[in-house]
Amino acid sequence: MIGQGIYFLLRALRNMRHSPVLSAASIFTVGVALALLAFFAIAVLNVQRLTASWAAELAVVAYLEQPPEGPVLNRWLGEIRGYPEVASVTYVSRQEAYQRFRQRLGSDADLLDGLGADVLPASLEIRLKPEARQQTAAVVERLGRNKALGELHYGREWLDRFEAFLLLLRTVGIALGGFLVLAALVIVTNTIKLTLYARQDELEAMTMVGATALFIKLPYLIEGALQGVVGGLVALLTSFVAFRMILRESLGNILLLTGIDTIHFLPFTWQILLVAAGGLVGLLGSLLALRKFVRFCQD
Amino acid sequence: MIQLFNITKAFQRDQNALSDITLRVAKGEFVYLTGPSGAGKSTLLKLICCAERPTRGQILMDGRNITQLPTRHIPHLRRNLGIVFQDFKLLNRRTVFENVAFPLEVQGRRRIEISKKVYQVLKQVGLEHRLSHHPLQLSGGEQQRVAVARALVVDPLVLLADEPTGNLDPDVTMEIMEMFKGANARGTTIVMATHDRGLIRQFPRRVVSLEAGRIAGDSRP
Repeated sequence: MIGQGIYFLLRALRNMRHSPVLSAASIFTVGVALALLAFFAIAVLNVQRLTASWAAELAVVAYLEQPPEGPVLNRWLGEIRGYPEVASVTYVSRQEAYQRFRQRLGSDADLLDGLGADVLPASLEIRLKPEARQQTAAVVERLGRNKALGELHYGREWLDRFEAFLLLLRTVGIALGGFLVLAALVIVTNTIKLTLYARQDELEAMTMVGATALFIKLPYLIEGALQGVVGGLVALLTSFVAFRMILRESLGNILLLTGIDTIHFLPFTWQILLVAAGGLVGLLGSLLALRKFVRFCQD
Repeated sequence: MIQLFNITKAFQRDQNALSDITLRVAKGEFVYLTGPSGAGKSTLLKLICCAERPTRGQILMDGRNITQLPTRHIPHLRRNLGIVFQDFKLLNRRTVFENVAFPLEVQGRRRIEISKKVYQVLKQVGLEHRLSHHPLQLSGGEQQRVAVARALVVDPLVLLADEPTGNLDPDVTMEIMEMFKGANARGTTIVMATHDRGLIRQFPRRVVSLEAGRIAGDSRP
């Protein structure tokens, strides 16, 4: 069994060695298609991470023009905690807001020198339960009835739009990726067909000495799968190099503005899936090309 | 060994390549199929190895009806056949050794057995010193000897040869015929299509003549 496997593998490798240009064309096609797919996947994954982190941080902020007296504040806190949609309520005093802002400015914190803590308003940060995010508007409306709460800010609408954008990006990625993979499949099929046309006499000779269809086809199937796997590895390498040299910089700069500091490459399972997808495209390409090519009898 | 009953083959409507052929070839017999181009010699050989299906009639091989043999069983039938073509049909990207070894690899024989057998057959056809060459590095005669070696390596029950000497000079033709004679003497049934009358005179055997797809004569020496 192992001996047979090695025999077919060697035949597949020999086929590839004899048609280096066609093999390279198949590998290149799969590589380009999957690399583009990988770029999209990197973008989608990172934007997804961003929205996930935003969603976790999503809070309704009620700015208080005048910080309330202790008992009043406690009453408000108790009342808001009683809302079923609310996960937590935190009071941020003017002093705390001032400290946070200093921290966020980092090395530029000295800009605040000379300004007192009372330049920033106190606020209530109300975090909603993840499952209650759809009810943000209703919570805001309820909070708005307390006129003392002042201005209410929340990022829900913006997040919704961003999620819609993410959905669009994902859809475009899948559609474009699907199209590219399909194109790769067609090109791989035709490339393998070309090699089969060139070897038609050989295939005929094989059928005449008693080779079964599987015996003839298996090396070509292995060849297709190998080309696909190598194409997948090329895609992985290309996308990694592009990620290190271009994507991390450009995508990083865009996402940095939004608070994400590191851009991630594809996770390991996705990398494996990418290479496996290459193998699958190659295998399918060979399978389609071989249909009707190995004929034993002119029925 | 081979029995054809009322075989008709039509590639186009109302245009028969073979018409109503009935023929018996006994085990161990050597039969020439002769006739002008287009008489149906190659078609008859193709029907015997199931490369074509007859339009009408039945074909029996070693007592087994192969007329409607399912396609998946054709390879197994061909493992008992040796087939030699006028244009050799060798695997040009493989060495002489690999070409001759291929039918045995197909049968899943063991490596050591294959090597032994291939060397033995290549010695028989006088090409043991060429085993690492590729077919295109050989002369036409040598290529045909490789093709004969490939056909004989499986010790076939039947050897089908379609104009095997058609492209060869007289000396090489003699060599090939000696090989066929040897195989025939070892018990292989041989059906050989040729239009070389001189060859038939030199190696007299049973001659089945075809003309316009019909048997026009059947004579024994």
